[in-house]
Amino acid sequence: MSGSPVGARGPKIDGRARITGAARFVADLKLPRMAHGAFVRSTHAHARLRDIDVSAARAMPGVLGVMVGADLPRRYGAIPVARDETALAVDKVRYIGEPIVCVVAVDLELARRAAAEVRVSYEPLPAVLGIDAALDPTSPIVHDEARKPSNTLRHVSQAFGDVDAELAASDVVVEARYDYPGSTHAPLEAHGALAAPDPDGGLTLWTSTQNVHYVHKDVARVLGMDERDLRVVKPAVGAGYGGKCDPFCTELCAAHMARTLGRPVRIVLSREEVFLAHRGRHPTRMWMRMGLTRDGDIRAIDFKAWADGGAYASYGVVTSYYLGVFMGMPYRLGAYRFEAMRLYTNVPPCGPKRGHGAIQPRFALETHLDRAAEVLRMDPASLRARNFLGADSETINGLRITSNGVAACMDAVLSASGWHTRRGRLPRGRGLGLAVSAYMSGALHGIHGDDLSQSVVSVRVDRNGAVTVFSGSADLGQGSQQMLATLVADRLGLQPSDIRVVEADTRLTPVDLGSYSSRVTMMAGNAALQAADAVRAQVLDAAATQLGTAASELRLEDGRIHVAGDVSVGVSFVRAAQLAEARLGAVGATAGFRPPLQGSRHRRESVGPSPAYSFTAQVAEVEVDEDTGVVRVVQVWVAHDCGRALQPSIVEGQVEGCVAMGLGEALHEETVHRDGRLVAPSLLAYKVPTIHETPPIEVTLVETHDPIGPLGAKECGEGPQLGTVPAVANAIHDAIGIRLDAPPFTPERVLRALDARGRAG
Amino acid sequence: MTPMPRMPMRVPRSIDAALAALAEPGARALAGGTDVVPALKHGLLSPGPLVSLHALDALRGVSRPADGGLRIGAMTPLSALVSHPDVSILAPALASSASTVASPTIRNAATLGGNVLLDTRCDWYNLPDVSRASLGGCLKCDGTVCHVAPRGTRCWAAHSADTVPVLMLLGAELEVLHRGDSDGTRCTRTPLASLVAQADGRTAHGLPRGALLSAIVVPRREARIVHRKVRARGTLDFGVLLVAVARHDSGWSAVVSASGPAPVRVDAPNGTSLVEAAWSAVKPVGTHTVSPNWRRRMVRVEVERAVAALDG
Repeated sequence: MSGSPVGARGPKIDGRARITGAARFVADLKLPRMAHGAFVRSTHAHARLRDIDVSAARAMPGVLGVMVGADLPRRYGAIPVARDETALAVDKVRYIGEPIVCVVAVDLELARRAAAEVRVSYEPLPAVLGIDAALDPTSPIVHDEARKPSNTLRHVSQAFGDVDAELAASDVVVEARYDYPGSTHAPLEAHGALAAPDPDGGLTLWTSTQNVHYVHKDVARVLGMDERDLRVVKPAVGAGYGGKCDPFCTELCAAHMARTLGRPVRIVLSREEVFLAHRGRHPTRMWMRMGLTRDGDIRAIDFKAWADGGAYASYGVVTSYYLGVFMGMPYRLGAYRFEAMRLYTNVPPCGPKRGHGAIQPRFALETHLDRAAEVLRMDPASLRARNFLGADSETINGLRITSNGVAACMDAVLSASGWHTRRGRLPRGRGLGLAVSAYMSGALHGIHGDDLSQSVVSVRVDRNGAVTVFSGSADLGQGSQQMLATLVADRLGLQPSDIRVVEADTRLTPVDLGSYSSRVTMMAGNAALQAADAVRAQVLDAAATQLGTAASELRLEDGRIHVAGDVSVGVSFVRAAQLAEARLGAVGATAGFRPPLQGSRHRRESVGPSPAYSFTAQVAEVEVDEDTGVVRVVQVWVAHDCGRALQPSIVEGQVEGCVAMGLGEALHEETVHRDGRLVAPSLLAYKVPTIHETPPIEVTLVETHDPIGPLGAKECGEGPQLGTVPAVANAIHDAIGIRLDAPPFTPERVLRALDARGRAG
Repeated sequence: MTPMPRMPMRVPRSIDAALAALAEPGARALAGGTDVVPALKHGLLSPGPLVSLHALDALRGVSRPADGGLRIGAMTPLSALVSHPDVSILAPALASSASTVASPTIRNAATLGGNVLLDTRCDWYNLPDVSRASLGGCLKCDGTVCHVAPRGTRCWAAHSADTVPVLMLLGAELEVLHRGDSDGTRCTRTPLASLVAQADGRTAHGLPRGALLSAIVVPRREARIVHRKVRARGTLDFGVLLVAVARHDSGWSAVVSASGPAPVRVDAPNGTSLVEAAWSAVKPVGTHTVSPNWRRRMVRVEVERAVAALDG
C-alpha cells in the first residue's frame, strides 16, 4: 500500500491475532502460583444478611482464603457523586446474584465447590420490583443507608421555551406512552481480572475493562492504596458495549485477595455471572406529547421518562440526563420540556449500554413522528426533513452542532430503499419504516469535573524507525488501535502496519478517560494527531537541514521524506528519525486534548454537550406473518454521517454492528425478571440474534469533515443503533397497520395487537 | 468461567468394555456431548463416570438393510446424516429435521443417538447455578416443586428432540445393546414410540440404565412427511413446538412435541380433520418463556401449514 492510509481499506492491525485466537485475554493469562476466585451470590432479591458461615469452605484443603463484604467495605462507583456499591454485599443484599463472599483456592473447580459450602442466612425483605413499586411510598427502600432515603436516584427536569403555550397553540397534539425494555450487552468475553503483587510492593491488575483509568482510581481508593503503587493493564478484550465501564467485584476482590495472600489471583465470571453483573439498558416508561402546526412544524415536545435502574447507581445519574438531552436533535423544536427519573429496584443494576440513555427516547420520538405524520397525512420523511436543523446550528437545549449530514443521510436511505416508489405499494404484510437519529462524539465535560485533558497520547520514534503510540484508550475489538495507527501513520508518511500501539496500561500509557460515550476517536484521536504533528515537525526539520531545504518544501510519504515534486531528493523516514535524534537528543512528543468549550445558552448543563454529533438515517423493510405474528426484517439501509471515515471497513463494521444489536432489541432481546430472578441468564435462553437471523445491512457513509474531529472524523460505534428499533416499529405499522409501543416485537405481541384491532372491528 | 466438575472418564475400545463401563454406578454415556457437557457444567447432572463412545466405530455410519430401509449408527453425527445421499432419498424429512438442530458446528459433534435420547427441557430447569439456587431447584433437580404447575406432583419438562417426531412417523425402531448374564452382549429392538411414551418429564425415554443405544433403524415407508420447528431464534435454539405430519393412503398422522413431557401422536382417518385433532390433543404448558397460549395457537397454524405443504 502507498499513499495516506486515511480512507483506505487496509487490514486491521490486530485482526489476525483476534481471528486466529492468538490474542491474549484475561482468561489466557497464567502466572506462577496463580490462585482462582469464585463468588457466593445472593439467592434473594432483597434481604438483610444475618450470618455468613464460611467455616466449612475455609477448612477445605486447597482453599487459600475467604473474603466477605466487611473485609473491603469502602463504597465505590463509576460516578463520584453516586458511590453506593461495595466489592461484596455488606449487611444487605439488593438483587439475586449480588456477590456476598469470594472464595480463593488453588484451582477454580475447588473454589467453586468451596463456595457451595458457604452458608448464608438471610432475613428476607419485600423486594422492590418494577417502576410502580419503586415509586410507591409504602415500598421498602433499596438504599436505606442513604442520607435522604428514597428509591429515586436522580430526578431531572429541564424546560426550554413555553411548552404549555406552544402545545395550546398547536394545530394537532399527538400523545402516546412507550415502554422500552431492558436488555443486556452479551459481550463474547466474560469479565475477568488477574491481580498479582509486584516485587516492589505494588500491585498489577490485568482486567477486561473499557476504562483502566476509572478502575485505577476506584481500586486504589477502595483498597486504600497509593495510585502510584497500582498498575492497571487491559489485555485483549472481547467487547464491552458499555458493560465493562464500571469497576467490578472481579477487580476489587482479585486485587484485595492478591495482596492478602501474597500471590496472583484470577477471577473470571461465568456466563451467568456476566448476565448478573449486567449494567445493561434501563427498562424505561415514557410519555410523549408533541404539538405540531398543520404544515408539520414541531411546536413543542413534552416528555417524561421513568427508568428502572436496578439495585445500584452505576452511571445512572448520567442516564437520567441522557434520557432527555438529545431529544431536540436533529430537529428544530419550538419548545421542549423533559422530566426523567432513575429509580432503584431489586434487580441487577442497569448502566450504560450502546446508545446509553438515548435509545429509549429515540424509540419514542421516531415512532411518535410517524404517528404525527399519519395524523397530518404527510410522508414521514417530509415531516422529518422540514424540521431538520442544519450544520453550525444549536438545539433548543443549547447543544452546538458543528457538521451535520442528516439530510444527506436521509436522502441516501430513501433512495437506496426505493422509499418513494415502494412505500405503500408493497404486498400486504410487507412494509418500510424510517428513523433518524443523532449521537455525541464524547462528552464535553468529564465525569470528574476537572479541567484536565480528556486524553493524553505519546508518540515515540526509535532510531530504528519504530513508531510507538502510547494511549490509555481501550480497544475492545472496535478498532481504536487502528484509528490511532491510521492518524499517526498519515502524519508521518507511513502505513498503520508500521505503527505499534501500546494501549491502556496505567504505568506505560498517559491517561485517557476510556472507551465509552463514543469519545475515543474524538479525544484520543485529536491528542494523537497533535503528538504526531509534533513528531512530524521534528523529523521534517532534521531532514530539511540534511537536504539543505526548508521543511515546508518537503513531503512525507511511503516511508520517505522528499522534496515536493522530486522523489529522488530525500531521505528515508528511518534516516530522518536518526537525524532528528542526533539533533534533539530524542524523537517523540506527548500531547493532550480537551475539547474546546463552546458557547451555549445553557452552561449549567454539563451532560449532553459534545464536541460534535454524528447523524444517522435508516430504513427497515419487514415482512409480518399475520398468522404467527413473526416479524422478519428483510433488509436495512443505513446511512451514517461519521464526519470522515478514517478506515471505512471498520466504520461500516461498527454501523452494521449497531444495526444488528438494534435488531436484537427490536425482535428478541429483553431482560425479563420473575420475582426478581433473571429468566434467561444464558446465551441459549437470552436471544441475541446470530448471523443467520441478521438480514443484509446496506451501509452508506456520509462524510461531512467535522471541524473539530480529528481529520474531520466523528463517532460511528453507537449512534447508528438509535434508529433501528423505531425503523422496525414504523415498518411494522406500514406492513400491517398496527403500532407497537413496547419492544421487542415478539410474535405474541404482534398477534395480541392484531387481536385487539380485530376486536375493535 | 465455569469449569467441568471432576469425574472419571472411560474410553472403551469395544462394545463389551462400553457395556461394562456403563454398568458402573452413576455412569453416563457421552456421545457428542453437546447437551450433557453444559448440563454437567451447570450442575444439572451429578458427576459420575463419563463413558465416551467415540472409539466405537461400529456405532457410526449409515447402511441399507435388506428390507430397503436405513440403519443409522447411534454415533453418526447429525451433519453426516444431513448430507448423506441415502438419507436424503429415503428419509428426507429426517435429514431436514436433523438440519434444524442448533448450529453447523454443534451438528458436527452432536449425534443422532444423542438427539433421540435428548433429555427433556424446561426454562425453570435448564438454568445455571445461581438462578436455579434462587428458585430452590425443581422436581427434576434438587427440589420439591414444579414451577410450571406448583400444585401438581409431576414434572412437565418438554420433550425437545428435533428428530423424534419425524422418526416416530417413520416407524423407527431402536437397536439396544444390553450386558448379557453370561454370554456377552444381548441385542433388542424396541419401537421408538414405545420408548418415548415412557417419558415423564424427569426422564425423556425408558431406556434401561446400563443399556447402550447402538442404532436407529428406519423401515422402508412410502409416507410423505413434512416437519416444522417453531423457535424464538432461527438458529442455535430448541423448538418451543415441533410438528411432523405424514400423509398416508388412509389419512393423516401428526406427532407434536416440545409441548409436554412426551411427543403426542395424533391420527386423522380420511374425512376427519388432523388440525382439529391436534388442536384438541396438544395443550402446551408454561415450560418456556414463550407463552403456552401462543404455542397452542401455533399448533393449529403449523399443522395446517404442514398439511397444506403435503396437499400441494
